[in-house]
Amino acid sequence: MNENFLVIHDLKKSFGQGEARQDVLRGMDFTVKQGEFCVLLGPSGSGKSTLLNIIGGIDTPDSGFVSINGDKLEDMNEKQLTMYRRRHLGYVFQMYNLIPNLNVKENIEVGAYLSDDPLDVEEVITTLGLQDHKYKYPNQLSGGQQQRVSIGRAVVKNPDILMCDEPTGALDYKTSKEILSLIGDCNSRYGSTVIMVTHNEAIRHMADHVIKLRDGIVRHNDINEVKTPADELEW
Amino acid sequence: MKNPLIKRIPKELSSDWHKYLVILVFLVLMIGLVSGMYVGHDSMLFSIDKGREELRLEDGSFELSKKASTEQLKDISRGEMADVRQYFLDKGIKEADSEVADAIEKELDEQVRSAIEEGVRMQCEAFGIVDEDMIDEQIDKAIKDNYDSAVDEARRSEEFKTAEKEAYDKAHEAVTEAVDDEWDDISEEYGLNDEGFVPVQVNIFEDFYRDENEDSDNDGTVDATVRVFKSDAPIDQASFNEGRAPQNDSEIAIDRMHAHNAGIGIGDTITIGGRKFDVVGLLSYVNYLTLHESNTDLMFDAFGFDVAMVTPEAFDLLHSRVHYNYAYIYETAPADKIAEADMSESFLKSLITQTLVYDNELKDYLPEYLRQASNFAPSDIEGDSSATSILCYILIAVIAFIFAITISNTIDKESTVIGTLRASGYSKKELVIHYMSMPVVVTLIGAVIGNVLGYTAFRGLAVSLYYESYSLPACHIVWSPTALIKTTVIPLILMFFINLFVIVKKLQLSPLKFLRHDLTKTKRSKARRLPAWSFMKRFRLRILFQNMPSYVILIFGVIFIELMMCFAFGLPDSLDNYGSKAHEMIFADYQYMLMGYKDSDNEVIETSEDSAERFSCKTLLYPKKTGSMRQGMGSGGDESVTVYGIIPDSSYVDLPRDLPKNHVCLSSAFMKKFGLKAGDKITLHEEYENKSYEFLVDDVIDYDGSIAVFMDNAGFNETFDKKDEEFMGYFSRNEITDIDEQDIATVITAEDITKVASQLNHSIGGIVRAFKYVLVVLAAALIYLLAKIIIERNERSISMAKILGFTNREIGSLYIIPTAIVVTICAACGFVAGYFLMMEVFKIFMLQMDGYFSYYMTKASMVLSVLYLLIGYLSVSVVDYIRIKRIPLDEALKNVE
Repeated sequence: MNENFLVIHDLKKSFGQGEARQDVLRGMDFTVKQGEFCVLLGPSGSGKSTLLNIIGGIDTPDSGFVSINGDKLEDMNEKQLTMYRRRHLGYVFQMYNLIPNLNVKENIEVGAYLSDDPLDVEEVITTLGLQDHKYKYPNQLSGGQQQRVSIGRAVVKNPDILMCDEPTGALDYKTSKEILSLIGDCNSRYGSTVIMVTHNEAIRHMADHVIKLRDGIVRHNDINEVKTPADELEW
Repeated sequence: MKNPLIKRIPKELSSDWHKYLVILVFLVLMIGLVSGMYVGHDSMLFSIDKGREELRLEDGSFELSKKASTEQLKDISRGEMADVRQYFLDKGIKEADSEVADAIEKELDEQVRSAIEEGVRMQCEAFGIVDEDMIDEQIDKAIKDNYDSAVDEARRSEEFKTAEKEAYDKAHEAVTEAVDDEWDDISEEYGLNDEGFVPVQVNIFEDFYRDENEDSDNDGTVDATVRVFKSDAPIDQASFNEGRAPQNDSEIAIDRMHAHNAGIGIGDTITIGGRKFDVVGLLSYVNYLTLHESNTDLMFDAFGFDVAMVTPEAFDLLHSRVHYNYAYIYETAPADKIAEADMSESFLKSLITQTLVYDNELKDYLPEYLRQASNFAPSDIEGDSSATSILCYILIAVIAFIFAITISNTIDKESTVIGTLRASGYSKKELVIHYMSMPVVVTLIGAVIGNVLGYTAFRGLAVSLYYESYSLPACHIVWSPTALIKTTVIPLILMFFINLFVIVKKLQLSPLKFLRHDLTKTKRSKARRLPAWSFMKRFRLRILFQNMPSYVILIFGVIFIELMMCFAFGLPDSLDNYGSKAHEMIFADYQYMLMGYKDSDNEVIETSEDSAERFSCKTLLYPKKTGSMRQGMGSGGDESVTVYGIIPDSSYVDLPRDLPKNHVCLSSAFMKKFGLKAGDKITLHEEYENKSYEFLVDDVIDYDGSIAVFMDNAGFNETFDKKDEEFMGYFSRNEITDIDEQDIATVITAEDITKVASQLNHSIGGIVRAFKYVLVVLAAALIYLLAKIIIERNERSISMAKILGFTNREIGSLYIIPTAIVVTICAACGFVAGYFLMMEVFKIFMLQMDGYFSYYMTKASMVLSVLYLLIGYLSVSVVDYIRIKRIPLDEALKNVE
């Protein structure tokens, strides 16, 4: 297992200029092991989504660098970044962002299409418990079902890193636990490194690695010795 | 693995089928129409070309005053120039010799008789005989006995020989001098001293005809002039659109176009030159694709002129003068147009000389490439399709922009999905391809259906349009690569690049911006402030600003449609206006153009008609390249200008008194067509000679009937080296009946002036009138698409407005009124722009043809051209209102998806 699979080094990022300037990341340092379930925890404005976006190569830092498996993102041009995302990343967003006129199966196929080594679409659908809904359109699904599809779309790529941006932010308690459980399963089953951004403290217990952020810096960087399964989490 | 996004395409198509159907119908109609035009056009040109070969189209023809002898035809066909000088010399010397011989004989006779008489009288006087009777008797006896020997003796005398030689020499000298003078004139006039002359060998064929009167309804009045040819003509043959060739002397086949116009069908009986004929065929002569009676006719006349075929026996039974027309084909075909022009020039020289030496007269000469009747239709057909395709491309570009706006809105709507896809690794290229596929697929479907229709239904439309205008042969459909390129490749390219430009620009943003739904490239520092109007007014203005790109396309589309409306209403109006004003426009009810100012007896042609007034006239050419915009426009030929010489105090043309030499007045049509004004200089040139004349424009004569120049008659004669007493014809208020028809070349009346208008009206009037309604549908479709985009873009806002308590009527007024205002203002502005633009377009259009008539629109047409568009809009706004009513309340509460 690569100990320094994801390296974040002295990452800084600010928005605005002059008096309106806001330092979102103020020198962030940490590493993530390959296959680890890492939770980035913090309140609103702590810089966690910005950090996720930078790791995802869809935003750039002002200074510092991100390296994945030894490749620095700052050395990559736009095309290479696209290829990086295509080959290594899977994304799950809070608002699902599914394609409205593709059905469940097709939305998952979108992820499979992008991958050189995709998982079996049907298997993913079964794993996610979507077999009864696979021909439905997103607007025929509940929020939880839509998020499952979104996870399916990300997981089917068999990505090196599964990026989850508040995946339960729009879901109720029960559904949130189901989704977290699914992400946890994917992590253990497919070995993807999971980077999950959340402000839900309870989720930290299911992670291998918890990084607590506040005001743009890492406040705590803890390794969980004992993990709690998602379905046992309470908040 | 196939890109799963592909699966969106059919779904997208079916989910928004009515929008795509409108676009598809639009594309299919435009592409189909243009494809049909091109297929019809290519097929028609192919059929014409094929006909030229199969029906043996001449390379030129000439008419002689009398039938040519076999020898003459043989000499003409060799293409050599005859030695005209020698011919005149031989002829002159022969005549002179005969005259000298006669004079010598007479003189000798007189001198011998006088010598014998003198001798007898001297002898009688010596014998003292004084009786005169006896003396006369002796003289007669002496003449009888000695005349021959005396003549012989005189002939042998040196004195006689010298005198005889002197007489012949003198006569020969006079003849040579006269012939040389004559030869100098002729050779200069026709360029016969051309050292670089190359003989052009031709094959000559008889193609005699008679111009007879046609009475198509047998009511005793002449309805048309019919040019009758023999059915066994070996050249310039006809193809039969219906029926067959005549087989006996009571059968006739006539031109299809004329038959159609005159309501004559197969089986009808018509009267030609007083004889009844049964119509057995409707034909198209290869050299009469348009019914130009004369090559100088402003326009063909398929109503008043006809061509027909009868058997040789029936031809001989007709009575009018036979026109000894001969057609020729070059032994070696010319390589190109320039070579053809050179060959025809050389051949004309040979023809002039060979006609002179055979004592014949060349009445007419026309190389095929200058023949209006066979070249007008193909060149006009060529021009048609390019105009249509430009129209099509403009509309396809409008559709492409509508598509681009639709996609741009979809991208806005799907912003977060795009952000996710980009974040997941989808490349910009893949997304561009995805969003490009819809317009490309729809255009491809449109192109396929359009092309199929082009080869089937619309081809017929184009061909029938040509058949309505010209006397064309039967059409054979050919595969048209031009049609495929112009109707598939070009629309696809237009659609591809316009959409590519918009989509690439739209997808330039970073994935993050898409995820954040932040699609503005630059952050606007301040929101646009609006005046303190009522809330609803401001709301409407915001909607207007929000949908600016859609409104820009709408403005462009409406203005374009108004321009087309101005064409659709203006063209028939202009033609009607021209036709109705022809009688006011013409300055003499009759213009008799004479063959020459003297008749065959060398007497000056006079008339007893009181209102008749002599005039001179000549046709010159004016170059159609006065401005850079107009350069290269037009039929390529120069404008034909009639130059009139007007006598002082004319009762027909009000010419200023004492017009200096080379000062002229122009007809108002000339001034308008070429944008000339008093003080301008114009240069006119001869058609077949390298001679040009410069004139200063003094004033304008209010005459819209033709492109004409008026000058003082004395100045005319001086400028064109005419004799003082020479003239070309008579203006008259009444019909002149006392001039022999043989001496009249042509008579111009108001009907000739309106020929252009009535023929154009007949050819394209119907189509143009129908075009108005197509435009209404087009306008409605365009507004429908753009209004739909605007409403779709605002569905959530409309839904939210409903939740907040706005009524459907209020919401309707918010979203429909801005469009209504834009459409109304644009329709009015578009009309004004269209009206003035059409005036300019019309001038350019007029440059493509000879003659002139100005653009005109009636007040009713002006109102209707705006009203029609608004009616189209009204129907769309009803649909829009229903659409707004149907937007559900929960639309705003739905997820982004």
